[in-house]
Amino acid sequence: MIRYFLAAWIAHLRKAPSLFLLSVLGVALGVASVVAIQIINRNAIGAFSAGIKAVSGEVDLTVLGQTTTFPEELYSQVLATEGVAAAWPLYQIDVALADRDAFFLQVFGVDLLAPVRLPWNSSPADLSQALFEPGWIAVTPSLAQEMGWSIGDPIDVTSGTRRVQLVIGALVDFKKVSPLASRKLAVMDIAQVQGLLGSSGRIHQIDVQIQEGTHTEELILRLQNRLGPSVQIVTPRQREEQAADLMGAFRLNLTALSWISLFVGLFLIYTSTQASLLRRRLEFGLLRSVGATRAQVFGLILGEVSLLGLLGVILGLPMGYWVAQSNVEMVSATLTNLYLLQEIDSLQLSPSLYALAAGIGLGGAMAGAFFPAIDISRKNSKDLLTAFTLHEKANSLALPVFGMGWLVLTLTALWFWFLGYSWKPAGFVLAVAVLVALPLLTPFLIQQICGRIKTRGFGLGYSLKSLAARLQTTSFAVSSLAIAVSMLLGITLMIGSFRKTVEVWVQTTVQADIYLTTPSWRAEPEATLDAELVSALAAHPGVVSVDRLRRLLVSIDNKRISLVGVDMDLSGGQSRFPLLKGDRMEVLGKVQQGGVLISEPLARKSRLDVGDLLQVYAGAGKLEFPIAGIYYDYTSELGSAAMDLAVMGEIFGPGPIHSLSLYLEEGRDPERVVDEIKARFPDTPLQIRSNQRLREEIFEIFDQTFAVVRILQMMSLLIAVCGIMLTLLVLARERISELALYQALGASRLQIFRLFVGKGLGMGLIALGLGSAGGTVLAAILIFVINRTYFGWTIQVYWPGWPVLQQLATILTAALLASLYPALRASKTPAVELSRDDLQ
Amino acid sequence: MTATPALTFRLVSKVYDSSSRESRFALREVSFDIPPGLKVAIVGRSGSGKSTLLHLAAGIDVPTQGEVSIRGRNLAALSDRARTLVRRQEIGLVFQFFYLLPHLSVRENVCLPGFIAGAGVSEFEERASELLEEVGLLDRAEDNIQELSGGEMQRVAICRSLLRKPRLLLADEPTGNLDDANSGLVMNLMLKLASKEGHTLVYVTHSAELASLADEVWRLQSGVLNPS
Repeated sequence: MIRYFLAAWIAHLRKAPSLFLLSVLGVALGVASVVAIQIINRNAIGAFSAGIKAVSGEVDLTVLGQTTTFPEELYSQVLATEGVAAAWPLYQIDVALADRDAFFLQVFGVDLLAPVRLPWNSSPADLSQALFEPGWIAVTPSLAQEMGWSIGDPIDVTSGTRRVQLVIGALVDFKKVSPLASRKLAVMDIAQVQGLLGSSGRIHQIDVQIQEGTHTEELILRLQNRLGPSVQIVTPRQREEQAADLMGAFRLNLTALSWISLFVGLFLIYTSTQASLLRRRLEFGLLRSVGATRAQVFGLILGEVSLLGLLGVILGLPMGYWVAQSNVEMVSATLTNLYLLQEIDSLQLSPSLYALAAGIGLGGAMAGAFFPAIDISRKNSKDLLTAFTLHEKANSLALPVFGMGWLVLTLTALWFWFLGYSWKPAGFVLAVAVLVALPLLTPFLIQQICGRIKTRGFGLGYSLKSLAARLQTTSFAVSSLAIAVSMLLGITLMIGSFRKTVEVWVQTTVQADIYLTTPSWRAEPEATLDAELVSALAAHPGVVSVDRLRRLLVSIDNKRISLVGVDMDLSGGQSRFPLLKGDRMEVLGKVQQGGVLISEPLARKSRLDVGDLLQVYAGAGKLEFPIAGIYYDYTSELGSAAMDLAVMGEIFGPGPIHSLSLYLEEGRDPERVVDEIKARFPDTPLQIRSNQRLREEIFEIFDQTFAVVRILQMMSLLIAVCGIMLTLLVLARERISELALYQALGASRLQIFRLFVGKGLGMGLIALGLGSAGGTVLAAILIFVINRTYFGWTIQVYWPGWPVLQQLATILTAALLASLYPALRASKTPAVELSRDDLQ
Repeated sequence: MTATPALTFRLVSKVYDSSSRESRFALREVSFDIPPGLKVAIVGRSGSGKSTLLHLAAGIDVPTQGEVSIRGRNLAALSDRARTLVRRQEIGLVFQFFYLLPHLSVRENVCLPGFIAGAGVSEFEERASELLEEVGLLDRAEDNIQELSGGEMQRVAICRSLLRKPRLLLADEPTGNLDDANSGLVMNLMLKLASKEGHTLVYVTHSAELASLADEVWRLQSGVLNPS
């Protein structure tokens, strides 16, 4: 049987290479999209812990501050706790390279005198000067090479408005310890980091090794009791989970989108397998009549499909890696923008990803082929040897299948309305129901739309009518394209609405003429503006008012959020917080009396409302603030809260300012004032932008955030277009007699070519119709359910007419292009190819 | 003055697998002229070359040697497109297995050559009705093809072949898939319509009885044509 399998497989491959290649491409693209997203997801989490792993090695526990830093006195208490074998403190700070735009070093301050053997200590680099040479820093060889640095070279870095000169003291390859560690990782002596770049007497974390025989849970309890509520004690696994949880919504959405591509790919497999099996029914009939069992026929079919799946995996893996590699920078920027996480510096393909690719490629191919294989293997040899019409079966099943589609939609909608709405993943269930219902609704709709066309020529109407004749084949191509269109349109509507919402929000909130902060503001929450600089800027010619913003990190249920303090009574500054809930004047009064405003994502995720108490853990301990209002905010999905700056000073004590907004007198050119300030403070590290530039940057970040989504959309569309091409190729093969008849009746090659292009156009048009309906429903689910549950943002519905039209035109063009090659093949069918049963 | 023959074969041979050593002659130096309006029956055993002869006559295949002309025009000298146009305008084809399209209604099947030719819709729809009435199927015009019996299907196929009033009607075993009762009915109908409209008719059949209805009966034997 194996010899027969190989011989038959090679023969069929030779006979229909284009069908085979399209099927392999379909699997490969499906695998690639899932693998690409998984590579990015896993490496994003890996990057989070890689830096710490590279510096500290494998640790058992980590003591973390509830907010950012905590007093270093706690270190001695950790060492004194029973069950602790060793512990060492870390100070972690991201500093900006002074001469590079938005380039940050991830600096770890390490206690080089700690009685532990850190993994990279064994490197051949000379670390002896680390304690004594001011500004000594060890960097990675790859970064040194990239920057052209050598040992002994000075480098200027900034933290807030502080500018410090460091000296390259050693080159240490941290990737040897932790392969995912960033090339931007650097190590200094902890005291030097605290003194030069951060805050003396405070640390970010303490890593702990447990004594053998000590029970981890008990030690955690002992440490927590001893150290108090200003810290949390977590295992490395819990830390990774926290990071994963932080970007969980982002990851989940990308993962869901990538699986849609695979789903679309399954249709391709189904169509090609079924076409191949129909063509070969006589062969299977013969095999059965000479003694092959049903299981053998079934095995033969699945064996062939597995081979197809395997080739798809072999092609899909590097494709997926390439997609991940080309998008990692954009995703990484999103992670740092939205979640303040470490950027992804390098990608690694773990063995589990190979297994995943093999699983989905082979599993997907087999799933796509399963039903046609079962169908063929169940038939007896007599049935296989006589002509049968699968299409008639499809025609008679169209109505019940349509009914099932409606049932799926109705039951899911009812379930959501009465039960599921409060369940977080309910939105995905709704989306899946739409994607499942679409292919179920398709055959009947094609039958009704195309079958009822009264043909009065050999043009598009005739092409459309002929689609109804091969429902079994055409409905799968139309379904897969409709799913891809739904996904494309749904996401385009969502992104378009979101962009417009943000546009309106930016117009309302970004009112100042100039925005000013430090280059390291995003990477390091403690980066602040020098007080003298703030005063000087307030008095700068042309500046009529200054809006100061102070940012603190506080913790809610072990999650860190920003608590910002601003001058709430700033004239004209009310628009900075467009209110979702609460009366403006009333809210202002409450905020000035100690209340807070909370952002919409925080309100939704923590289920907080106006009048509730916001309980946070800050450096000063547990605090409670009455919630005066809820404001729209699209800067972070983690949530934030705002209070009056003066009240913040009273509660947390005076503190530095993180950013400034300058209002200029009328008639002043903001760009000119920006240039003046840059010229006035040439050595001060400042990030300064005019209102216009800031708005542009916001939309650059916005577009960057959705770049990877667009790649996934394109991959799904590509698979679906392959499906159109494959279907038309199948039709060109299946319908040889029909084509020969047209030729015999005097149809020219051009007419047959146009007939097939018309079929492609027809499938494209029906898929667009179905996909547009599905896409609109998906957009509503994305905007009103998934987005609100996972991100917490209100998105106003907006129809981005032009982009949608452009996309629809692109899809139609793609369908047309996909039909050209099959049309050419079909037009070359000779009239002598008339045979007995093909027209049935 | 002699009228130009409707169909001419001059020393026509058709060889399959001419590249191999054992090339097989489907037709061997066949020559004939069929004047306009003549009804010719070609009889012969399976594999004698009957279908090949009709394919060559219809211009859907080309001879290995010799010349096939429709009303004096050598088909081999024409481009593929020009041959197609000759077929569209001059020839009607009837097949043993009907070759009706299941996604089209009875009327639409009859109108198919009109659709392809892009002729005026009202003109060929009217003609289709006339033909369907002639064969007694006008009341089934909007039915699905699958609802018809074999005899009815072949009557529809005959209507289709006559829609554009071809000068030459070629029928490849038109009754080969019908029972005896239907065979006689269909054959008589075809001959009646061909006579009424003055078509030249060439048909292939196994049946001596049906062949006898033609003006002339020719016999094909191993690719060689002999008048009976």
